[in-house]
Amino acid sequence: MADAVITVQGLRKRYGQHEAVKGIDFTVDRGEVFGFLGTNGAGKTTTIEILEGYRSRTAGVVSVLGVDPARPTTAWRERIGLVLQESELDPLHTVRETVAMFACYYRHPRPVDDTIALVGLAEQRDARVGSLSGGQKRRVDVALGIVGDPDLVFLDEPTTGFDPQARRDAWNMIEGLRQLGKTIFLTTHYMDEAQHLADRLCILRDGLVVAQGTTSDLTSRANGGVVVRFRIPAGVSVDAVRAACDVEPEVSGTEITLKTDHPQRTLYTLTGWAEGQGVELEGLEVTRPTLDDVFLELNAGGQS
Amino acid sequence: MSLPGLLLRQTRYALVGFRRNPRAMVLTVVMPIVLLVLFASVFTGKARTTRVDGLLISIDAYFTAGIAAYSIMLIGFSSLLISIVTAREGGLLKRYRGTPMPSGVFLAAQILQTMVTIAVMVTVLLAIGAIAYDVELDATAVFAFVVYVVVGTATMCALGLALSRVATNVDVASTIGPFIAVILAFISGVFVPVTELPQWLVDVGRVFPLAHLAEGLQRALTPAAQGSRIDAGNLAVLALWGVVAMAVAIRRFRWEPLAAGT
Repeated sequence: MADAVITVQGLRKRYGQHEAVKGIDFTVDRGEVFGFLGTNGAGKTTTIEILEGYRSRTAGVVSVLGVDPARPTTAWRERIGLVLQESELDPLHTVRETVAMFACYYRHPRPVDDTIALVGLAEQRDARVGSLSGGQKRRVDVALGIVGDPDLVFLDEPTTGFDPQARRDAWNMIEGLRQLGKTIFLTTHYMDEAQHLADRLCILRDGLVVAQGTTSDLTSRANGGVVVRFRIPAGVSVDAVRAACDVEPEVSGTEITLKTDHPQRTLYTLTGWAEGQGVELEGLEVTRPTLDDVFLELNAGGQS
Repeated sequence: MSLPGLLLRQTRYALVGFRRNPRAMVLTVVMPIVLLVLFASVFTGKARTTRVDGLLISIDAYFTAGIAAYSIMLIGFSSLLISIVTAREGGLLKRYRGTPMPSGVFLAAQILQTMVTIAVMVTVLLAIGAIAYDVELDATAVFAFVVYVVVGTATMCALGLALSRVATNVDVASTIGPFIAVILAFISGVFVPVTELPQWLVDVGRVFPLAHLAEGLQRALTPAAQGSRIDAGNLAVLALWGVVAMAVAIRRFRWEPLAAGT
């Protein structure tokens, strides 16, 4: 409890007839990257805006850095950095002018040039914000979020619309923030991003938490564990293959899919059989479920 | 940083943004100067005078004052409206709210930037009037002029803030801002002397603040006007608009984008 930066208990938010958040609980610990996931309309944005002090709540107990965000204070704002979704900047000011202006809002800001270098914009320092690419503008957003040297940073979909290289760079930058000891509250649509960056995850659906835990906890929870795939070797019948497997295979044309909780045993049985028969298992692959699979499964769960 | 220091810094930041914005420069700086030169050239020949409240005034002094009023409206109302709505809809106001900066600082700086710009523009227009068109500027004229500029600026800024609630996006703001100013300019004795307008149109124009700002500034430049050349009626209508607009702005102002909904 002592190290919880954010605690949320029984949080609810109602807009007229519609209840966007239906009673959720979670905690975020000091120094961790906390991934907050959910489809559009799951209640993600409502929750993050309540934590950021922008929105009131209908019920529940919320504490962010020991303060109720429904009553934000200046001292509290000093310790929080916000990177909002889709927010524009003055296009006619340079990167340095913009970051320097925001630094004035805080009592103990980080050095301006240092902050610009940290987000990887040292070379664009004197370029006008309007001339930057989408990824570079987002970096300015991040620079503005951290120039006050906050303890807690909210990153709301920081890489939406990035090309793969820009996303990799952004990930490195976020890991850099973690190394500075910041606690990071991250929302994203990209499961690989959450898997790569987050220490712990919380998945929201229809205003409720449907899964919570460390990234590996969640991926190992996916149904059927590890997936083994290969094509039926030429001249071998489906029944023969079936007999060689220690779990029931799914057959689709010539492709066989095995879902196993004991991948080592399954593979040993299968490859031993193939070697004995002198056949080649073409297209053999073994994959662990990704966060994507978990996420899709959780969301499919409630659709019907 | 101290509050006054921060305010100064934010105002300078706003001035830099204004100076680099070609649309704002054309709308609020270039256009009034071009209009003044044009009107002074168009109304040549026999009718070189017109009347303010029955008193004779040169057509050049009349247009210098009228265009000054128009430029106060363009900078104080139209341009302020557009920058506030742009900042709000782009999420900039919301972002400012998330910092420890008192949120009033941004608005105050925006208004200060507007005041500085108006001071410069009015000075330039008066200088053009005095140098190119022999507009007489004595102490009485300048003092009365300044009084009207101050009250007019406050009123126009308040109207800009109030209408930011109506302008739901940047397109609306950048359309209605200049549009209202142009329409009012035609019926308020800015583009056409009121003596040339049908009475009913003059009456409609006098409901709105621009007519009173223009008439006040024109009276300030009328040598035949008596006393301080400050008319309580003009000032009262201007101030009333300002107070009502400010009350609306205080109650209805929004920091978050209107387009986003909940």
